[in-house]
Amino acid sequence: MPFPWLSTAILFPIGAALLIPFVPDKGDGKQVRWYALGVALTTFLVTVAAYLRGYDPADPGLQLVERVQWLPDLGLAWSVGADGISMPLILLTSFITSLACLAAWPVTFKPKLFYFLLLAMDGGQIAVFAVQDMLLFFLAWELELLPVYLLLAIWGGKKRQYAATKFILYTAGSSLFILLAGLAMAFYGGGAPSFEYTVLAAKEFGTGFQVLCYAALLIAFGVKLPVVPLHTWLPDAHGEATAPVHMLLAGILLKMGGYALLRFNVQLLPEAHAQFAPLLVILGVVNIIYAALTSFAQRNLKRKIAYSSISHMGFVLIGIGSFSALGTSGAMLQMISHGLIGASLFFLVGATYDRTHTLQLDEMGGVGQKMRKMFALWTVCSLASLALPGMSGFVSELMVFVGFATSEAYSLSFRIVIAVLAAIGVILTPIYLLSMLREIFFGKENPELASHTHLVDAEPREIYVISCLLVPIIGIGLYPRLVTDSYRAAIEALVERESVALVKLGRAPVPAVMATGAFGSLPPALLHAPALG
Amino acid sequence: MPSASELAWLIPVLPLLGACLTGLGLITFNRTVNRLRKPVALLLITSVGMAAVLSFAILAEQLAGAGATEVLFDWAGAGSFHLQMGFRVDALGAVMLSLVTTIALLVMVYSDGYMAHDKGYVRFFTYLALFSSSMLGLVISPNLLEIYVFWELVGMCSYLLVGFWYDRDAAANAAQKAFVVNRVGDFGLLLGILGLFWATGSFGFEEIGERLSAAVAGGGLPTGVAVLLCLLVFMGPMAKSAQFPLHVWLPDAMEGPTPISALIHAATMVAAGVFLVARLQPVYEPFPQVQLVIAVIGTITLFLGATIALTQMDLKKGLAYSTVSQLGYMMLAMGCGAPVAGMFHLVTHAFFKAMLFLGSGSVIHAMEEVVGHEPVLAQDMRLMGGLRKHMPITSATFLIGCIAISGIPPLAGFWSKDEILGQAFNSFPLLWAMGFLTAGMTAFYMFRLYFLTFEGSFRGQDAGIRAQLLSAAGQPSGGSADDDHHAHASHPHESGWQMAAPLVVLAVPSVLIGLLGTPWNSRFGNLVNPVEAAEVAKEFSWGEFLPLAGASVAISSLGIGLAVLAYALHRIDLGTAVAGRFPAINRFLANKWYLDAINEKLFVQGSRRLARQVLDVDSKVVDGVVNLTGLLTLGSGEGLKYFETGRVQFYALIVFGGVIGLVLLFSAFG
Repeated sequence: MPFPWLSTAILFPIGAALLIPFVPDKGDGKQVRWYALGVALTTFLVTVAAYLRGYDPADPGLQLVERVQWLPDLGLAWSVGADGISMPLILLTSFITSLACLAAWPVTFKPKLFYFLLLAMDGGQIAVFAVQDMLLFFLAWELELLPVYLLLAIWGGKKRQYAATKFILYTAGSSLFILLAGLAMAFYGGGAPSFEYTVLAAKEFGTGFQVLCYAALLIAFGVKLPVVPLHTWLPDAHGEATAPVHMLLAGILLKMGGYALLRFNVQLLPEAHAQFAPLLVILGVVNIIYAALTSFAQRNLKRKIAYSSISHMGFVLIGIGSFSALGTSGAMLQMISHGLIGASLFFLVGATYDRTHTLQLDEMGGVGQKMRKMFALWTVCSLASLALPGMSGFVSELMVFVGFATSEAYSLSFRIVIAVLAAIGVILTPIYLLSMLREIFFGKENPELASHTHLVDAEPREIYVISCLLVPIIGIGLYPRLVTDSYRAAIEALVERESVALVKLGRAPVPAVMATGAFGSLPPALLHAPALG
Repeated sequence: MPSASELAWLIPVLPLLGACLTGLGLITFNRTVNRLRKPVALLLITSVGMAAVLSFAILAEQLAGAGATEVLFDWAGAGSFHLQMGFRVDALGAVMLSLVTTIALLVMVYSDGYMAHDKGYVRFFTYLALFSSSMLGLVISPNLLEIYVFWELVGMCSYLLVGFWYDRDAAANAAQKAFVVNRVGDFGLLLGILGLFWATGSFGFEEIGERLSAAVAGGGLPTGVAVLLCLLVFMGPMAKSAQFPLHVWLPDAMEGPTPISALIHAATMVAAGVFLVARLQPVYEPFPQVQLVIAVIGTITLFLGATIALTQMDLKKGLAYSTVSQLGYMMLAMGCGAPVAGMFHLVTHAFFKAMLFLGSGSVIHAMEEVVGHEPVLAQDMRLMGGLRKHMPITSATFLIGCIAISGIPPLAGFWSKDEILGQAFNSFPLLWAMGFLTAGMTAFYMFRLYFLTFEGSFRGQDAGIRAQLLSAAGQPSGGSADDDHHAHASHPHESGWQMAAPLVVLAVPSVLIGLLGTPWNSRFGNLVNPVEAAEVAKEFSWGEFLPLAGASVAISSLGIGLAVLAYALHRIDLGTAVAGRFPAINRFLANKWYLDAINEKLFVQGSRRLARQVLDVDSKVVDGVVNLTGLLTLGSGEGLKYFETGRVQFYALIVFGGVIGLVLLFSAFG
């Protein structure tokens, strides 16, 4: 039997977290933080080893499979595995978590509990991406809520109780839909119930049943992603979280929504997806524009970046709904890219708050004169976030754009409307990000701020964290195949499945209103864009 | 041994490596690297210098008749799609490479003098190298997608460099405006690229051209759609090359250090739009409607720029509007289907306008010694005058630049501008008339700049004018603290050799390079587009050339004469003769056609208001519903207590326990 890489990656951080009470520490966190960092790094190395040793990017199927009967009476088995959709996200999780440990360096309030929760979350999140059983998935999904809730409620800002409660109500409430849909799918068609993805994928669900399940799951995952109007927990949660928690929320938690949409809604319910996809695309555009505008009007730095996350996740929705390999690949890349960029921006927010002790943009201004390195880091990360070419965000948004624009599943007028609206995001994003930079760093120094605070420039630890995030951001930007090749086969198989469902459905999934546009009469030959020579 | 063309990828990579090295140094060992001024400058100048050598080697190969070289590799893809990147070298690219590296090199040498006292010296050089790298990458891009990549990167460098002095509010605003306005153009460019890819399945210039016209001819694509896509793509060049109505960012961008204005906002980046339109000629050519729109926009721009330049009192702003106007000429040439003429004007203009900007920088640098580091004072011509006596090299080269841009033979501007006007005369006589009129205005405002700056008597010590300027700019006048920082000279001095030498070097092509593009034997045309050049040479007749050229020279001379009368001999007072008699026109021009005010009202404030309203909806309606539901369901009775007393662990345990219980319950049924 090969080495159980994935089980190790899940259980090692959790087990190590349980040992934290025995770590000698004077209570100021100076010893336990090294322990936590060591554990997180080891976990990262385990996932890297899993990728290098046991994972073949060219194989579209499930790999690194481990299956042990757990509670046979309940049909529950410990079943983990990874394919192209989950492997990059597993790596992202362990990577961001180890950086979050480094970001948590200044935490001195109850450090043992803090690191315990951080490591428990690490294992829980890897489990969410790795498990291959819907019941296990549901357990893992719930399990990682607990640490987030506590991290918010104990270490958060002034309104932490409100934010944490809102978070738990939203996500716990919505996850009931996962359970319901999971049970329904497991028991569908009679016979012994099974929650295994492979078993569920092989079932032939009726179309009406698929639609019901799809809607339930869309609500559950839409909260997580988040999809407007299910997003209002996010600005509150993000607004109150501390920097390391923030990095995990933006870097990984949001991606659980996108991953689950691909895994369940697209993979298991392809026919319903063929009907719901236009809705996803429309919601994606709403996300992009609505959140960009709210971000522009926000005066609180954390909430501004939080809304910008929502805006960027809109591209994931469009990509998932695009019915093209390029667009779906773009959605996947956007998740990874935003994981890196979002984490870096939120880390910088935290680092800035440590110095200015305010998040209100009105109370900042001219900070760049004392914090030049910080200014440089902020500038680079903001440019990455506004999809500057040469960085990962550009590639993923471009792939979504090209994939969607050339998708044959939609009528031309629908594609034009969506592409134009999504491209408005291209204008809005620099407006809010650059005016944010303008207000924090540019101009004359705010005398009020300068007299009350001690503005020291970025320290080596902070530069190191950001550099670690920037290396993959720029690496992907320069040569995206570094990452896209690792999941290409799986995404192509997934889109193949989608297309079959589309053909089965017998019609393009276009809202009737949109189909009768001015360009609806174009010959179909034109809709088949030839491949680039 | 590989040919120089095969090594073309090194041209952008060399400056990039230099920039990365110093950039990393600045982040990690800030103080040390900031002290290594000369080594850093030397390193970066060397890297750009090596790129220049390679560029000229490529140009030599092209002159010797080498064909185009194109190298591509798979960059990203999924399914059957492949997005390709790579590089392409042809005659047009070779000319641009040589031009960009030459001017970048000269500007870097110049900056060593200009930025000598700035604490951001090393950062400035890093940005310069980064810009050179992006610009060179743009030039060798083989397809629209890669052009878009570098297009954004030069825009980013422009943002960084315009906002270089980030403690100045004006610079910060200008940087943001430049980026956002350019993004508006990129919005169209991106959609256009997507649309063209959808219609033709290609990002390559020739393939798009062929397949698009084939699709239209075959009836597969309505002409209107094709035209729309072409115009969408054209939005990119409109923003980058400061064409009406997206030109508003360029004059503001003058807040950046002057070497930047010369390099980015006169010679290279703003010309990128023209370059792209030249590259897209195979796409645009079959559609006369597109050509007409380009020509009309170019004409509006050239007229608008020149009229506003008439009233500018800020030396750099005057030159900036002149650049806007000249870019309009280039676009007009593109619209007339004469890309060679437009590209030729791009080249000549790059040399003399870079020289003029560097000259203005030399003046500003000298003025700062007298009036201090205050752009409102140091750049205003009302405080200048009589500088010729103090700065002979600067004034001589500036004068050469003025003659060149005015179109007096045999200097560079005459040949290129006359070729454009000749083409316009044949294609669109009405637009020619506008261009012709503007040629006169150009000569007038350039010599107005020259006389106000360099002739007469020096007015820099006039405290009255200073106070007036400061109060007009809304700053406290006579503040003693501000008055004397770095202001230690009674009159300006000629700049050092680092600044003077590039001026002299640039004067040579400003005088001579036009001779490479004479209409009867255009060596430039033969290199870039032999077919079009041969056609032009065949159709050339002295009988047609002389009257047109004569008329151009005559109207330029008229403009110069007017400027001499008004500003050198003071025979006529334009202030009362024109501005006094037509106050409405004067106000219209002084307010830059009110375009900035319209932008501010409509777009800036409009978008802010919209954003605030959306946020209100978000926090009151969407979130309100959530909170209300939460209150209704949980607000009654005991439940609320747990939230308020903060027994969070307990609550979380309940949730978790409930979940487990549910699982077991449901499982039991199975």
